[in-house]
Amino acid sequence: MKAVILAAGEGTRLRPFTSSEPKVMIPVANKPILHHVVEALVDSDVTDIVMVVGYHKQRIMSYFGNGEDMGADIEYVVQPKQVGTAHALYQTKDIMDGEFLVLPGDNLIHRETIDYFLSERHGYSILITKNEEPSKYGVVTMLNGLVKKIEEKPAESESHLISTGIYSLDTDIFPRIHDLMMDNVYDLTSVMDDLKEDAPLHGISTDFMWMDAVYPWDLLSLNSAALTDIGTSSLGIIEEGVSIKGDVKIGEGTVIKGGTHIEGPAVIGEGCEIGPQACILPSTSIGDDCRISPFTMVQNSIVMSGVNIGPNSMIDSSVIGEGVNIGAGFSSHADAVDMKVEDGFEMVEKIGCMIAEDTLIGSGVTVYPGVVVGEDCDIRGGVVLRERCPPGSTVL
Amino acid sequence: MCGIVGYTGKSGVGKVLLKGLKRLEYRGYDSAGVAVVQNDGIYLQKKKGMIKDLEPITIPSGNTGIGHTRWATHGKPSDENAHPFKGCSGEFAIVHNGIIDNFITIKEELIEKGHEFSSETDSEILVHLIEEYHEGNLLQTMGEVIKKLRGSYAVCAVQRDSDRIVVARNQSPLVIGIGVEENLVASDIPAILDHTNEVKYLEDGDIAELTPSRIRIWDRKGVPVERETVEIDWTHEDAEKSGYEHYMLKEIYEQPKAIHDSLLGRLVEFDDVDFNSYDTRHIRLISCGTSYHAALVGKYIIEELAAIPCTTDLASEYRYSSPSDLTPFTILISQSGETADTIAAAREAKQRGCKTLAITNVMNSSITREVDEVIYTQAGPEIGVAATKTFTTQLIVLYLIAMELGLNNKRLLRENVQEYRDELRRLPRHVKVLLDQSDYIRDVCDKLVTAEDIFFVGRNINYPVALEGALKLKEIAYIHSAGYPAGELKHGPFALLTERTPVVSILVKDHTFEKMLGNIGEIAARGSPIISVGDEDRELEKLSDDMIVIPSVPPLFSPILVNVVLQLMAYHTARKRGCSIDKPRNLAKSVTVE
Repeated sequence: MKAVILAAGEGTRLRPFTSSEPKVMIPVANKPILHHVVEALVDSDVTDIVMVVGYHKQRIMSYFGNGEDMGADIEYVVQPKQVGTAHALYQTKDIMDGEFLVLPGDNLIHRETIDYFLSERHGYSILITKNEEPSKYGVVTMLNGLVKKIEEKPAESESHLISTGIYSLDTDIFPRIHDLMMDNVYDLTSVMDDLKEDAPLHGISTDFMWMDAVYPWDLLSLNSAALTDIGTSSLGIIEEGVSIKGDVKIGEGTVIKGGTHIEGPAVIGEGCEIGPQACILPSTSIGDDCRISPFTMVQNSIVMSGVNIGPNSMIDSSVIGEGVNIGAGFSSHADAVDMKVEDGFEMVEKIGCMIAEDTLIGSGVTVYPGVVVGEDCDIRGGVVLRERCPPGSTVL
Repeated sequence: MCGIVGYTGKSGVGKVLLKGLKRLEYRGYDSAGVAVVQNDGIYLQKKKGMIKDLEPITIPSGNTGIGHTRWATHGKPSDENAHPFKGCSGEFAIVHNGIIDNFITIKEELIEKGHEFSSETDSEILVHLIEEYHEGNLLQTMGEVIKKLRGSYAVCAVQRDSDRIVVARNQSPLVIGIGVEENLVASDIPAILDHTNEVKYLEDGDIAELTPSRIRIWDRKGVPVERETVEIDWTHEDAEKSGYEHYMLKEIYEQPKAIHDSLLGRLVEFDDVDFNSYDTRHIRLISCGTSYHAALVGKYIIEELAAIPCTTDLASEYRYSSPSDLTPFTILISQSGETADTIAAAREAKQRGCKTLAITNVMNSSITREVDEVIYTQAGPEIGVAATKTFTTQLIVLYLIAMELGLNNKRLLRENVQEYRDELRRLPRHVKVLLDQSDYIRDVCDKLVTAEDIFFVGRNINYPVALEGALKLKEIAYIHSAGYPAGELKHGPFALLTERTPVVSILVKDHTFEKMLGNIGEIAARGSPIISVGDEDRELEKLSDDMIVIPSVPPLFSPILVNVVLQLMAYHTARKRGCSIDKPRNLAKSVTVE
């Protein structure tokens, strides 16, 4: 059976981390979210994969190639303009045949999630799960195993069940999408809501892994979830006097210098230089080609590829984007923060800073908990940042 | 340059051969053909044109066959000159890659003996020789035939009503793929990967026999030998376009990963070569084409980081030059490792008593057998004829060599090395960011599309990059372009500047920046449109019609980034002009002719 993965959108609520990369390519446990989705499918023997790409599609195509490395056979279809998920799916109509799966590329799932759905589905099916904040998603109302209603991001929700966006469909869906698009309906949730009037739509409820990152700070919980059971392995060089506890994965060509302490679960990518005397604490992912200088501590954080962190720095519960360059004596402690979102505030229990790609930070900079720094900023030495920095700003 | 493939195993040989040939298309594509063994003869189909022009439907079923994609050397591309060749009796068929130097004498002898030739190729003599010497055993016959030959060859032969393929190799690549109840042979790995990743490389003078269940190899003395089985870790990703319109664009976008892979495990400790065991007081860099431009950049890199005097030579010139008493440490650069002139230069350097090092992208390629040391570029296979990621990784290897040499001779201080390492480690990220400017660069190319002549100018380390930019535009966009050191423009070329000759100028903030600005001012005064590539600068922006800014790096590392911009410029210009980007006319990926 073929699977269509929808990977064309930007994921604007995750800005500034989507400025040059779609949401699906944001790494958790050193793999893009989309990579976790592909892995789950391949583990469930679904290897024929069609990816609908659009926003910064080259980043996806260059990473996955034709899928051979992951045991999959990947074909790409381009959605030229990102107008909605149904429109994205519609782009695949010429290469689909019979029944197929549809999945969003930006949610963290496990093979059990797919296995369960594959064994339970019959006819048109939708995978649903319980969620504490249903109003962020498509809320599903069920009756006798069938879907009674799906409503996208309702103000008031009568149910805690939400759509995971994972469907089992067949090619009969395409004429329906076509007709609805004539009425300017472009999202898959509305198409499913329309479909259930004519055909039974089975709701398959699951407790298996399904996680979504709506806002940047959500990435940390996805990261720690993806880090469980990563195992211990090292292809790098570990110098004398390094202490390693728990599950720690170290990539090829990485050098861990003397006196460094690493406590898993943690993953360190390829070609990094860590230490001497650095301290990596649990739930940390460090990408490829990074340097973590002496006496620097990183914990519960995502440090993406090509990042340089100077000596004597402390990074806690933070997300550091690709190519960020941080000087000596950087400090970002974590705390509970009321984060501002489109329609109000969201309480986050523990968050440090979020710094987007290629930002340059001088020495002795302190960033307050919850502060978001946009891409390509130039934060000069000694600055104390208490507020959000728009992309490209220079702070003296 | 040609590609050959042979298969013996299950049915459906036609499909296997065509797919294999498709993967070898980069080795040449002016004609193609296949031969399939039948009980009562050998089916043959061959045509001038691309592999896709063959008609798979008409190929009969069979278990054994050979195929060929040709790059004309002796005899123009035509149906007759396409391989395979069947000879007079129709009992045998052969495919051949290489050049038989003494084919004219052999051909005359054969004609005297009554053989009739159907083509102008050197290769056809092989099948007639087999007919002439055949006494019942094809294997023995092959042994007799190759004794007659002078030159280079990789040859595969099949016989009517037999599942056996007999192959021989001398100075042309040939690799055997070990399958299950099937075996393959080909000029290069991609043709085999569909079936197996276990291969054996044949050595010069080897003869081998393949049946579906067995592989046997003999060396040039006829003694049975075992050749090591090597596991290949390339996958298909490497040989397909995965969503990109052209291999070239795919390969341009693979550069962040290629740089990362080339640096992997070499940045903190470099142990590919122990330079301390060689005399490196003088270095000579030798290569052809794009690799020669890498050598020219390499000269600047090594002179700056290690203060060792370097000279550069084109392989095709060096090999015919007069030897001197000096025996510089000689570095030969060839993407494919099969470049005939570079291989000959490696032999010549050895002859002259020089120690040699090859930089190549292809594992166990021919050049690796000719030199004392090898460093691989780790770019992965490159299919587009225009070199992109391999040039970039050649530079990466040259940075690593220069740092190592500089540390050895104490010109580079340990405390400064960390800074260079950090810069190198950041290059994949810088290239990734630069690639996001592709659409902007595409728009700038509107100015180049209709031009008949384009100039590329740079100074210092970016002068060779200007040469490379001009070469790329020539090869794939078919626009006459010339690279110059900016200071040389007024010694002649200036006379050619008009409003219709765009000038691409490279300016980074090194010690030549002020001089470059002056040069740009002079060009602007002639009314030529100016496209600048380099570091951000207000004055430069005023002088330029368009400006493409690269991420800020020390000037020493700027060639990598500037070149990525020039690659995209060549790509987009060629695309707008509707050129055949991955297979430019008259060009082949590896140049195995001299």
